[in-house]
Amino acid sequence: MKYYVMNLGCQMNQADSERIQSVFSQMGLERTDVESEAKVLGIVACSVRQKAIDRVYSKIHEWNLRKNEENLITFVSGCILPADEEKFSDRFDLVFSIDELTSVPDRFRQYGVVTPLAQFEGEVQAPPAPTARDRLGISSLAPFWKVTPTYSSPFEAFVPIQNGCDKFCSFCAVPYTRGREVSRTSADILAEVQALVDKGYTSITLLGQNVNSYGLDRKGDELRFAQLLEEVGKLGERTGARFWTYFTSPHPRDMNTDVLETMARYPVLAKQVHLPLQSGDDHVLIRMNRNHSMDRYRSLVADVRRVLPTATLFTDIIVGFTGETDEQFENTRKALGEFQYQMAYIAQYSPRPGAASARWDDDVPADVKRGRLEALNDLLRQTSLAYNRSLLGRTVPVLVTKADRKSGYLSGHTEGKVTVRFPSDDPSLVGTFVNLTMESAVPFSLEGRLAAPPTGTS
Amino acid sequence: MGASSAEVRVLSNRPVGPGCFVLTFERAGISFRTGQYLSLGIPGQREQREYSIYSGEGDPQLSVLVREVPEGLVSRRLAKLVPGDGLHVDGPFGYFTPDTALKSGGPLLFLATGTGISPFHSMVQTHPHLNYTLLHGVRTCAELALEEDFLGENLVACVSREDGAAYRGRITDRLKDLTVPPESHAFLCGNCDMIYEAFDVLRGFGIPSDRISTEVYF
Repeated sequence: MKYYVMNLGCQMNQADSERIQSVFSQMGLERTDVESEAKVLGIVACSVRQKAIDRVYSKIHEWNLRKNEENLITFVSGCILPADEEKFSDRFDLVFSIDELTSVPDRFRQYGVVTPLAQFEGEVQAPPAPTARDRLGISSLAPFWKVTPTYSSPFEAFVPIQNGCDKFCSFCAVPYTRGREVSRTSADILAEVQALVDKGYTSITLLGQNVNSYGLDRKGDELRFAQLLEEVGKLGERTGARFWTYFTSPHPRDMNTDVLETMARYPVLAKQVHLPLQSGDDHVLIRMNRNHSMDRYRSLVADVRRVLPTATLFTDIIVGFTGETDEQFENTRKALGEFQYQMAYIAQYSPRPGAASARWDDDVPADVKRGRLEALNDLLRQTSLAYNRSLLGRTVPVLVTKADRKSGYLSGHTEGKVTVRFPSDDPSLVGTFVNLTMESAVPFSLEGRLAAPPTGTS
Repeated sequence: MGASSAEVRVLSNRPVGPGCFVLTFERAGISFRTGQYLSLGIPGQREQREYSIYSGEGDPQLSVLVREVPEGLVSRRLAKLVPGDGLHVDGPFGYFTPDTALKSGGPLLFLATGTGISPFHSMVQTHPHLNYTLLHGVRTCAELALEEDFLGENLVACVSREDGAAYRGRITDRLKDLTVPPESHAFLCGNCDMIYEAFDVLRGFGIPSDRISTEVYF
C-alpha cells in the first residue's frame, strides 16, 4: 500500500513530515510522490496561514470524492489550530498532532486494513493518549523525537531542537497550534547531529520557533542554546568533518553574545545570523508584543558585526500590520537601510486565525501593503547587490545543492547562504563543497567559476 | 522556570467593580515571577486567554483579575465559575518582571489602565516595601473599585470622564506633569494607545527604552 504526504508548511513541518514518513515506512507502507496511486493520503498542514488551510479544505474535498470509487485513508497533522482540528475531524479519517505520531500505527489498525500495516507490530510503541498536562510536556514529545526521520535530502537535514512557542507575538498563532516551548533533550539532538555527520551530511539546520530560548524551560536539566552549539562545534573538531550548522529562528529577546562568541569559535557553525526584525518601529513592536525595542535590536546587530564580522544577516519583516502608519513604516524602511541585510523575508500582513491580532481590524489597505512591500524589496535589492559585489574576485567555499535552472550550471550557497551558480555538468558535486571565484553579481545571487578541485565533504 | 499545565479547582470568584472579578484558584505547584501571566481556559474547551497574575509570588493560591468582555469566548465563561469548578491553567509566561529593576535600584514608575493594574498588585504583594508610584487610569469612578486591594499613598487614580478622583484626566496627561528621574524604571500595562503615548513621554524624559517595560492588553 502506498502513501502520499503533502507538506504545506515551513521547515518545522518538513521535519514533522520526515518523521511521519519513517513511521509509515516501519508500518510497511511505501511512499509515492504520485498522489493518484496512493491509498493513504495525508497533509502536514500549517494552520497559521489561511492560504494553507484553504488548500487543506480543497484537497480533502477532492480526496473524499475519490472515496466514492476506492478505499482511502486520509489524515492531517502538523500545526493545527484547535478550532480547525474540530472541523478536520469531520473530514479526515485521522487527525493527529506530532506528539501523537507514535500512536498512529494503532489508530490505523483500528481501521482493520488488511495490509502489511495491519500486521505491524514494530518498534514504535504507542503511548497512552496524552493528557492535558502531557500535551505541554517533554514526556509526550519524547517518542516523536525518538523517531528517526526519513531525510528528504542526502546532504541537508533539519534537526528539531524544540517545539512550540511561549512568546505570544500578537500576529502569530504558533503557541495555539504547537503548544508551549518544550526543549528536546540535548543528548537526543547531539546524537542525531552525530549520526548525520557520520553519514556525510554537509548542511545541518537546528530548528525551533525560538531556538535561542532552547533549554530555558528545563534549566539545569539541559544545555542552554550556546552550550548546545558549543557541543556541535566540538563534535566538528572531534570528527574533523566539514559541514555547516545553521539555526532558525532566533528571537531577539533571547539572543546573546554567548551564542555569537560560540559561533565565532567553531568553523562548523556557519557565520549566518537570522534575526527577525518584524518592524523597525517601537510602537509597532509593542503592538506585536515582541518584547524588545529598536535599541535592543540595534545593540544586537552591533554585537553580530563585532563578534562575527564576516557573517551575513537575514531577517523577517511584516509590512502593513494592523494600525501601521506611514511614519511607522518609514522607520522600518530606515531600519532595512541601516542594517544592510543580505536577505529579508518580507510579508504583507494578513490576519492568522487564532492569533490575537486576528481580532483587530486589518486596517491597512491592500494596495498600501503592496506598495510598502515593493519599497522594501527595492531597497533590499540594493543592499543585497552591494554585498554580492563586495565578493567579486574573491574565492569562497560554496556548498553545491542542485542543478541550476540554467542548463550546464550547478548552484549552491556560500556559508552565509548567498546563492551562487557556476558552470558545471558534474552532478556528483551536489552535496559537496567547492571553491568558487566570484565573477558577476546581481541582487540575491552571484555567478562564479571553479577555482580549485572540489574539496569533498571531509 | 518552565511553563506547566494543570487542571485546578476554583477557590473564589470575587466581583471588583463593573464587569470585573478576581478569580482565585489552586496553585498546583506553579511557581512564577511577579509580573508574569497565565493562559486560562475551561477544562474540555479549547479556547484559552492570557491573564496577568494578580497574586503575590508567596501566596498559597493564584489569582487573576479579569474583565468580562461581552463577546469574549473565555472571560464570559470564567465569570460564571464558582468555588469547586475546574479550571485549566498553562504557564507562567512573559517578561514583564521587575527583577532587573529591583537589582539596579532606581525609582519604579507603574502606569496602568483598567485591569492593567493586575501585575502591579502582584508586584506590591510580593515586595511589600517596594518604592513605587502607580498611576492608574480608568474612565469612571465606579472602576476605582479595581484599586480596593491597594493601600498607601503610592497610587494616583486618574479618571478621564468624570470628577471624583485625585486627578481628572488621562494618566498620560498626569505623567507629563511628573518629574521622572532618568534613572527610573517604568512599567506600562494596559491598552495600546496609553502605552504608545506613555512610551514617547518617557523617552522624552530621557528614560532609555531598556528601562521601559510594556505589557499590552489585547
